[in-house]
Amino acid sequence: MEILVAIKQVPDTDKVRMDPVTGTMVREGVDTIVNPLDLYAIELAIRLKEQHGGKVTAFTMGPPAADKALKEAIAMGCDAGVLVTDRAFSGSDTWATSYALSRAVAKMGRYDLILAGERATDGDTGQVGPCLAAWLDIPVLTYVGSLESADGGSIVARRLVEEGYQRVRAKMPCLLTVVKEVANPRLPTLRGKKFARQTALAVYGAGDLDADPACLGLKGSPTKVSKIFYPKVTRGGAMVKALDEAGTENAVDELVAFLEARDLIARDVIAREEIAGEGAQR
Amino acid sequence: MNYGKVTEALVEELRGLLGPKNVICDAERMEAYSHDETSAEEYGHMPDVVVTPTSTDQVTAVVRLANRERIPVTPRGAGSGLSGGAIPSLGGISVSLEKMNKGKGLFYAGYPMSLETCFLGGNIAENAGGGKAVKYGVTSRYVLGLELVTPTGEVVWLGGKLSKDVTGYDLTHLIVGSEGTLGIVTTAIIRLIGLPKAKSDLLVLFRTPAEAIACVPEIIARGTIPVSMEFMDKLSVETSCGYLNESLPYEGCGAMLLIEMDGQDAATVDADAERVGDLCMEKGAIEVYMADNRTTQERVWSVRRNIAEAFKVRCPVQSLEDIVVPTASIPDIIPELDRIAAKYGIAIPCYGHAGDGNLHATLVKDPDMALEVWKKAEPEALEELYAAVTKLGGKISGEHGIGLKRKKYMAEFMSPVEMGLIKAIKMAWDPKGIMNPGKLFDLD
Repeated sequence: MEILVAIKQVPDTDKVRMDPVTGTMVREGVDTIVNPLDLYAIELAIRLKEQHGGKVTAFTMGPPAADKALKEAIAMGCDAGVLVTDRAFSGSDTWATSYALSRAVAKMGRYDLILAGERATDGDTGQVGPCLAAWLDIPVLTYVGSLESADGGSIVARRLVEEGYQRVRAKMPCLLTVVKEVANPRLPTLRGKKFARQTALAVYGAGDLDADPACLGLKGSPTKVSKIFYPKVTRGGAMVKALDEAGTENAVDELVAFLEARDLIARDVIAREEIAGEGAQR
Repeated sequence: MNYGKVTEALVEELRGLLGPKNVICDAERMEAYSHDETSAEEYGHMPDVVVTPTSTDQVTAVVRLANRERIPVTPRGAGSGLSGGAIPSLGGISVSLEKMNKGKGLFYAGYPMSLETCFLGGNIAENAGGGKAVKYGVTSRYVLGLELVTPTGEVVWLGGKLSKDVTGYDLTHLIVGSEGTLGIVTTAIIRLIGLPKAKSDLLVLFRTPAEAIACVPEIIARGTIPVSMEFMDKLSVETSCGYLNESLPYEGCGAMLLIEMDGQDAATVDADAERVGDLCMEKGAIEVYMADNRTTQERVWSVRRNIAEAFKVRCPVQSLEDIVVPTASIPDIIPELDRIAAKYGIAIPCYGHAGDGNLHATLVKDPDMALEVWKKAEPEALEELYAAVTKLGGKISGEHGIGLKRKKYMAEFMSPVEMGLIKAIKMAWDPKGIMNPGKLFDLD
């Protein structure tokens, strides 16, 4: 099975800072990692390869330094990496990014499956995966939580939807975006890291792609950021604290009083629970 | 030894010296000062009064008063100790230095596993170790000087801002690790070093604990000194992973080493890590996993850090041990642990600082075992464990200290001559025996 995994390099931080003037993310001085949600896609791809044989190729669009993300994917068990990089791509929104990636996929040749994380932890849109499928005109299954089967030219997947799960069959080639529960990602191995270092990445510039230049980069991006701001938190929270075990009684009383004052619980409910809970382990 | 009583008049005198808000004597608030991280049920004891001095002068005033009236004084930092050192086991005055825990600095390489809770003063009193001791050493290496309030209520400066100092006996380092029995440290001069800019972790899987441990001296001998080399046996890893809902691939694996390399630039650190990884593979490791970013590093270290917590959830009745043996003897102690565990029907997960030969073998009661059976088995199993440790030239505590918990075993690990010298020192410093009495040994 030929599997492509779309990954992204994101800042390794809990606090993403935005440049208020340009409306873009501040990436300087922050270490980068593979988007954590893409690791699940990489893991699933490697597991499918282990079951069915074939090859896994990770690909990404980004600055030249994004080769680090591809190398990490290879260290985990991917076989090859494709870096789509060119100044002409800079400033791409999700539309232009997915277009460029679709042209890169067209150049990569035959494939059965494209996998991607459900979204990236920096931009948080979740659009590039489905857009890529649209450009390629292949079926897309989003929020895949598990795969039942993947052979005979079609796959059966369980999608995580609001009411529960949805079991769907799709013809291959198709694109899946996956959620956390699909597979717990493995750690890169020493052997993998060495293999990654020896593996040359394929590098595609704008000139290598059969793409309309007008659709690339900032000028090919319909998204315009008009204003960026941090939302003000207007809700105040109340903390109930117990400094140690001896203080828990008081803290519980305080919390109960707080909830009662807002009619969120009734006093007799608590009393009943206490009686029911007696004898049970605390 | 007969001690004086904490009377209402004495409490009043303390209030006069420190101000009323630095003197605590209601039972509910004092409860927090009656135990540390050891089992409160087993070792806890209430103080008669707790004081929270805010300056060296106040500490001195309290100690002078205690010395005059011959009242036990128990110094206390954050109360995160693991040997009962801060428990006022004879009552008296608990001197909590919580209002004097101030500092500023760069990177303090003594990095106990309890880094989020402990105080530096406590680290000095216990000469704490921790996860980074392989490369950076333990607390004593960083203590250049300190201000001490002696048990007779005098203030003395030992050492100073000097890298070298052989002027007289090295009293500074007599105090480091003295478990608060020779005075109260009120100020310390600590050597700080620049933060390493890069680090890389290896999680190495071995078929057997012996294979894992055999790698440790080899790695050190090759000249690349890791920051830490943590050992975890299969039981420890499984229990911690279960607790964290983590799924490390430990099939066929009997033990793991978690090795951290650090340095000033990523390329060198990566190369060092690879060399260590290669060596492990050469020595028969099943697999070497690499964690070189914050996310993966947090993943592997949280498995190590949560072992103790995971076993507390499984069964809170346990005895956390702190044995230390010559590094080369670690492979010999593991089968002893297995034998003792099997004999008494208890679990003895083993994890700890393999690079220092310091292992936190923990005796854990089987959840189904009756408490009476455990109470009989535990001391017998401990006796056997300590006998095995002695035979290998090891000691009872590598970094947690003797305190209350282990003093009855001191005679097994110390010659009468050495014990005599230690007691003579104690008597010279603290003729009335008021400073943290009942710890390390009993004066009679």
